[in-house]
Amino acid sequence: QFRRRDRTTTPQASENNLNYANPAEYTIAGIEVKGINVLDKNAMISISGLKVGDKIKIPGDAITGAIRKIWKYGLVGDVSIEVSKIEGTNVYLNIVLAERSRLTAFYFTGINKTQESGLKEDLKLIRGKIVNDAMVRNTELAVKKYFVKKGFLNTDVKVIQERDTLNQDGIKLKIAVNTKSKVKINAISFEGNDNIDDATLKRKLKKTKEHPRFVLHRTILRELFAPKKYLEPAEKVSWKQTKEFLNENIKLNIFASSKFIRSEYEEDKKKLIEYYNSKGYRDAEIEVDSIYNHNFRTINIDFKIYEGPKYYFRNIIWTGNYIYTDKQLDAVLGISKGDVYNKDLIDKKLQFNPKGMDISGLYMDDGYLFFRINPVEVAVAGDSIDVEMRISEGEQATINEVTISGNERTSDHVIRRELSTVPGQKFRRSDIIRTQQSLSQLGYFAPDKVSQNLVPNPAKGTVDIEWKVEEQSNDQIELSGGWGGYYGFVGTLGLTFNNFSIRNIPHLKNWKPLPVGDGQRLQLRMQANGRQYQSYSFSFTEPWLGGRKPHSFTVSLNSSVQRSLYGYQMPDSTTANPTMKVHSITVGLGRRLEWPDNYFTLTNSVSYLRYILNDWDAGLGFSDGVSNSITFNTTLARNSVNEIMYPSQGSTISLSLTLTPPHSLWRGLDYSDPNLDPATKFAWIEFHKWMFDAKYYLPLDNKKKLVLEAKAHFGFIGSYSREAGIGPFERFFLGGDGLAGGFNSFLLGQEIIGLRGYQNNRITPPLYDRYGSVSPGRGVVQGGVVYDKLGLELRYPVTTGSAATIYGFIFTEAGNNWNNYEDFNPFNLYKSAGVGARIFMPAFGLIGLNWAYGFDRLPYAQDRSGSQFHFTIGQQIR
Amino acid sequence: CGKFRKIEKSPDWRVKYEAGLNYYAKKDYYRASVLFEQILPIVRGLPEGEKVQFYLAYCQFYDKLYLLASEQFKTFYETYGRSSLAEEARYMYAFSLYESSPNANLDQTSSIDAMAAMQEFLNRYPSSKFRDKAVEIIVSTQEKLERKGFENARQYHKMRQYKAAIVALNNFKNNFPDSKFLEEAYFLVIDAEYALAQQSIISKQGERYKAVIEYYQEFLDKYPESKFLREAEKQYADSLEKMNSLKKTNL
Repeated sequence: QFRRRDRTTTPQASENNLNYANPAEYTIAGIEVKGINVLDKNAMISISGLKVGDKIKIPGDAITGAIRKIWKYGLVGDVSIEVSKIEGTNVYLNIVLAERSRLTAFYFTGINKTQESGLKEDLKLIRGKIVNDAMVRNTELAVKKYFVKKGFLNTDVKVIQERDTLNQDGIKLKIAVNTKSKVKINAISFEGNDNIDDATLKRKLKKTKEHPRFVLHRTILRELFAPKKYLEPAEKVSWKQTKEFLNENIKLNIFASSKFIRSEYEEDKKKLIEYYNSKGYRDAEIEVDSIYNHNFRTINIDFKIYEGPKYYFRNIIWTGNYIYTDKQLDAVLGISKGDVYNKDLIDKKLQFNPKGMDISGLYMDDGYLFFRINPVEVAVAGDSIDVEMRISEGEQATINEVTISGNERTSDHVIRRELSTVPGQKFRRSDIIRTQQSLSQLGYFAPDKVSQNLVPNPAKGTVDIEWKVEEQSNDQIELSGGWGGYYGFVGTLGLTFNNFSIRNIPHLKNWKPLPVGDGQRLQLRMQANGRQYQSYSFSFTEPWLGGRKPHSFTVSLNSSVQRSLYGYQMPDSTTANPTMKVHSITVGLGRRLEWPDNYFTLTNSVSYLRYILNDWDAGLGFSDGVSNSITFNTTLARNSVNEIMYPSQGSTISLSLTLTPPHSLWRGLDYSDPNLDPATKFAWIEFHKWMFDAKYYLPLDNKKKLVLEAKAHFGFIGSYSREAGIGPFERFFLGGDGLAGGFNSFLLGQEIIGLRGYQNNRITPPLYDRYGSVSPGRGVVQGGVVYDKLGLELRYPVTTGSAATIYGFIFTEAGNNWNNYEDFNPFNLYKSAGVGARIFMPAFGLIGLNWAYGFDRLPYAQDRSGSQFHFTIGQQIR
Repeated sequence: CGKFRKIEKSPDWRVKYEAGLNYYAKKDYYRASVLFEQILPIVRGLPEGEKVQFYLAYCQFYDKLYLLASEQFKTFYETYGRSSLAEEARYMYAFSLYESSPNANLDQTSSIDAMAAMQEFLNRYPSSKFRDKAVEIIVSTQEKLERKGFENARQYHKMRQYKAAIVALNNFKNNFPDSKFLEEAYFLVIDAEYALAQQSIISKQGERYKAVIEYYQEFLDKYPESKFLREAEKQYADSLEKMNSLKKTNL
């Protein structure tokens, strides 16, 4: 109906002696457009690319090109160009068009709203376009495909063109769909499978599954009415028979879809044969597979399988290997004479073995990029196969240029410093894999989109590497509210920018929508509950200070204020307005160490803290005054866990020492004087504090899903002189969820450690009261000076994708906290056990929910601690 | 905003067309582009089609949506190849690509595209009124790529991966033989080679000091008045000395 006709050689043309054998050049003297109502003449001429005055050959490219251009534009149903007359070398052309109607609307019948909106995504119908056969046909196909994919195999689609009465020359498409009923699979049966049982084969059909059923009761009833069987002497029923019996009568997995989808069915057939091949049945094939109706909405599938003999490896012959000996290669291949023949296994051991060394790896890690290997079955004798490995080793390749593409936000140097593929180095496949991992771990790029393009140059023996990345945002916004014990509702607003750039701040043009790209980390956090409690923190980290080595530099500022409710209620009261303000600044430098191994990091930091107390009793032994603290901290840590969110292997160990200067040596105060004002005494805080933390992860299954985490924590605070004693600062508060906050906790200056199964901070000497706070009687210093904590946690993941990590766990832990060294006894612990789950989503961070049972009775308590719920936010160190 | 909504809802494309031109004249490019986009499929093939396509491209250009604008300009010159505006559209296509290209330390795909498009523009319209501007853009894009190449190579020197620095800087020398960074590149090769030689085991020192000497001589011939000469000369002199003492120990 809408054919494209080229009428350059029309009757008139031949009259004018135009023919293909003898093209002549003419000048266009005039162009006319015929057969249009709506379209514009000049626009069509413009589209055709022809112009009055042009010299063209007839017949020639210009005419056919013009037709093609107009046609491609999709506005007309038919195009032809005619020569209307020729005067000397002047030619007059007619463009003859047949206009088509435009699509003004389309609607569906026979389907519901949800299906409709899903379908509209798939359809490429744009209103205003010209309706033609292709459009109608494509729409039909797209609709049909959409429903077949959903299991409606017998869907009927009709696209009917209707005149749009509202719009002149418009066409409405009525898309009439009859989905009919979904086709499901009733039963799958196999024939000819003598060596592998039905259930195993059914399992290999990953997407083609039977309908769930439970007909055990029927079989049992049937058996009951055939009592003859029971009279026969009882035979021993083998496990295999039992399995077959159960398999026939029960299929309980209601989650596996039993829809029949042709494309997936074809895939599954391949998988079936692959499975046979992997078991040594090299000749296995599906002789016949028949699909037939079981009833009006279900089908049955019958397979007839030819298994063929089971094959075994005989000799493996290496040829072309000069660098490695046969023996070395045999050792890596790990296949010996008599093993079950498996083509897949060979490929895996030759090309890429996820569980260890492979032959390509052996060569490629030593620069042999041009290495090729081709396994050939050279002899088949009975059930034994000889394989010849034909190797071409090639030259060693050196990396020449390394380029980066796709980084639309992150600067080159931030990426380049993470690359293990360095110019001038021998090509090593392990470097490629390592770089891929480290780029994925940066968090700036979609981990599955990090790829590389190798451009080998065999003539020069070099290879260029292009790293391709795709940016993703990994900034985090934390907006949460929660009950902070005594304070009631506490709101938190946190912003973390993980790819910040200070350098780009002045260049507004480069903001996207913030200054990004230098891999710096900026964190802002605000916590408040009105006037009573406010806390602000700011932290900035440059991971590569100076750009030479991964030495990180961090500055953080923190400021918090707490006011007593009592003072707040009487704003004009000048005397009674208890507050405590804490300000701090910390500057830290961290570096990766290369010795003893490169899992070690060393961090040094200096901080200054200032506590301003105004009539505030926080268990410090004094309530008015200003305390200053200057500390130096050194932390030596080793972290070898394989993954951050769900570690399944490796360990973390950290030893940290925090020191203040020994002010008591030069302040000239008599610290032994019992009448010394504590405010004066603690104007300059002194202590030394040691912390040790260790965690160890042990995978308990092959897939590294079931993981045991064992942990041990230990810490103590000491003083420089007996007279000065241990001050009230930096003491340990044990118990509960381990989150800072709660009554009288002042965050900085307290070490809060969780112990599930007990109330927050409750295991804190000397007074183990309800909130872990100091009861009346000023001058009592609250908090432990030595603590320990041990724990075991058994985890199993629900999901560990990049979108979310969710896992459940059961745990048991124990710990105690003492306020003098004499009582310290590492075996006298408060114990608990419980269950819980943690959920991590990139935008929200890590959230944990725990239920625990505390087995022990705390001092001054009536009963054992018992059942407790805990809610946690973030990764907990201790 | 109510007025704009009303125009948007109007069933007559002519209303939108007139309003779009009005908004365009008032430099309200966002609203103009919304209206033009709506009527574009309808006016294709009408006399207004050409104008709408051209104005839409400019709207997006002024709205700093450079990649979108480049596509619209491209569509324009591909469709209306004989229009008097085709030349401008071709230039604007390349110019939009140029405008969309980010800083030198980010992906430069659109810079390379822009340069190719500008070159093609110049080939097609060698006497265009945009000629000077086009040449300027090609030069500035070239400079951007040079900067990127140089900074990438220099990073290895900074990270003290001298072997990599030598390879990368030599590649830079080959890729951009007329760059303004060439002088520094030459010097950094000497510096890297010298540092590498100092770190090397005795058996490798000989050839590396020799390389320092060769690189220095090449550098001196090419930039006899370089500001890096003093530093390079020291390394040259030291390398000569080291070579001599190496020879002695070998004897």
